[in-house]
Amino acid sequence: MPEPKLNEPILEIRGLRKSFGALVATDDVSLDLRPGEIHALIGPNGAGKSTLIKQIVGEIRPDAGSIRFEGQVIDTLDAAARARLGLARSFQVSSVIPDFTVLQNVMLAVAGASGAVFRFHLPALADRKLTEPALFHIEQAGLAGRHLVPAATLSHGERRKLEIAMALALRPRAFLLDEPMAGMGLEGGRQLTGILAELRNEAPILLVEHDMDAVFALADRISVLVYGRIIATGSVAEIRANPEVRRSYLGEEA
Amino acid sequence: MRETLNRDTAINLAILALLVATAVGAHLAGNGFTVTLATKAAIFGLAGVGLNLALGYGGLISFGHAAFFGIGGYVTGILASHASTGMPVTSLPFTIMGSNEMLGIWPMAMLAAGLVALVIGALSLRTSGVYFIMVTLAFAQMLYYFAISWPRYGGEDGLSFYVRNSFPGLNTFAPIQYFAICATLLAVALVFTAVVTQSRFGLALQAARQNSQRTIAVGIRPYAIRLTAFVLSGMIVGLAGSLYADLNRFVSPAMLSWHMSGEIMVFVILGGVGRLCGPVAGAAIFILLEHVLGGISDYWQALLGLLLLVIVLFAPGGLIGIVTRRGRHA
Repeated sequence: MPEPKLNEPILEIRGLRKSFGALVATDDVSLDLRPGEIHALIGPNGAGKSTLIKQIVGEIRPDAGSIRFEGQVIDTLDAAARARLGLARSFQVSSVIPDFTVLQNVMLAVAGASGAVFRFHLPALADRKLTEPALFHIEQAGLAGRHLVPAATLSHGERRKLEIAMALALRPRAFLLDEPMAGMGLEGGRQLTGILAELRNEAPILLVEHDMDAVFALADRISVLVYGRIIATGSVAEIRANPEVRRSYLGEEA
Repeated sequence: MRETLNRDTAINLAILALLVATAVGAHLAGNGFTVTLATKAAIFGLAGVGLNLALGYGGLISFGHAAFFGIGGYVTGILASHASTGMPVTSLPFTIMGSNEMLGIWPMAMLAAGLVALVIGALSLRTSGVYFIMVTLAFAQMLYYFAISWPRYGGEDGLSFYVRNSFPGLNTFAPIQYFAICATLLAVALVFTAVVTQSRFGLALQAARQNSQRTIAVGIRPYAIRLTAFVLSGMIVGLAGSLYADLNRFVSPAMLSWHMSGEIMVFVILGGVGRLCGPVAGAAIFILLEHVLGGISDYWQALLGLLLLVIVLFAPGGLIGIVTRRGRHA
């Protein structure tokens, strides 16, 4: 092992289990997110992808299992603390602060990441420690010039980009993107694929996605979740060739 | 964006100017009663400004802010009554003497209201929605019944003190001078609110109101933010309660009742939720209606109810919202 630190996974999920009554939503899931990779998580509706994401971000507590983030066990940390460690999340349904401008939304994320929210004196809009990084990330996400627009009036695609700008503002060590392509048109989807391909330079991405074109274009590795279990993990080619995956998931699409 | 900001500022200044002009005009005309009414509007406006921080900016629909209003009032009344008898309020764990100095009383009133807000907020903010409303109401009612059944400071009859507390260099008995004190504190509270709501903290508070999940996802805990806003809000309302006690030289359990909580809410909703000067406009209109309509009919509150209904249904931005033609502040 010449460079042990470099090959260590950023996010390490071991034996995660969660059931709701008789329904086992997460069944002994183990998963790694390695530096620099895009790891796609696919699976049919109801496979438990969202439940898994919620456990990783700390929104719901698993019944068993453990999650390490950059070598640190984060099981006891709440969602806000995990976000501050650089676990940046985007939501399946775009989630922004509607009455805030694009700039204020991203400033909020910069403030949250800084951990110094209890500042009562300086007007936030005059605080260059907030505005400068925010404007930088807005441009990075492809929203340059739109920073004074209220988030509520953004188009669907722009709102997706705003979520990415907010994720970038967290100085992310890993991205958890929950169906970023959902509801995007053909052109918008293509554009977003390009943005995601660049995002991986910032931090590795755990990508939950239904759009198979995007997954096959972007992913280094794919894990397939069916009925709460990971039935296969491998490269794009391996997953495409896997008979079990073809039967239980890809088969439906072909 | 800058234009609407300036327009809001202009409206805010106009509201304050109107209030001051009313008081000064009445003073020059020798109408002390109207000066006192304007003072009452300033005090109620201050209470509304305090509640607005929690309710308007934080989305915390507290139906128990009378608790802080009443505590501010009782601290004032108790300190003043002890000042006149010369007996200490308490000697354990340390001696607290009575006081008839406003500059000493205000911090005590705000401290007491803030501490109670910390306890009530810490417990009630674990709930949300209608439960939050009910829990805050329940806490305030507890204090109300406590005040009623506590004979030492008047119980149900309330507590009178015959001399208005003093302020260095001013004659607080002169209605216009007491108005000046109250209006100045109102202005300070407005500046404070404006600064706080535009700060980082204000950004987080308003974000948590609109989208709590998103706020958590950027690493901010809404609970701590909301609790801070709740305490600040309670302190401002406590100060208003202190001024109100001094205005009447009388405190009674009514200051703690749910009826009072409702009135403070009405100031905020009438004027415009989440608008800086909304509660001031709301309180002024409330007092205007009380005295104009109240003179015509004892059932003036039915008309107030109707007005409130129209505002809630057709102008959720309140009176200020009608003037600026915008829904609400970000």
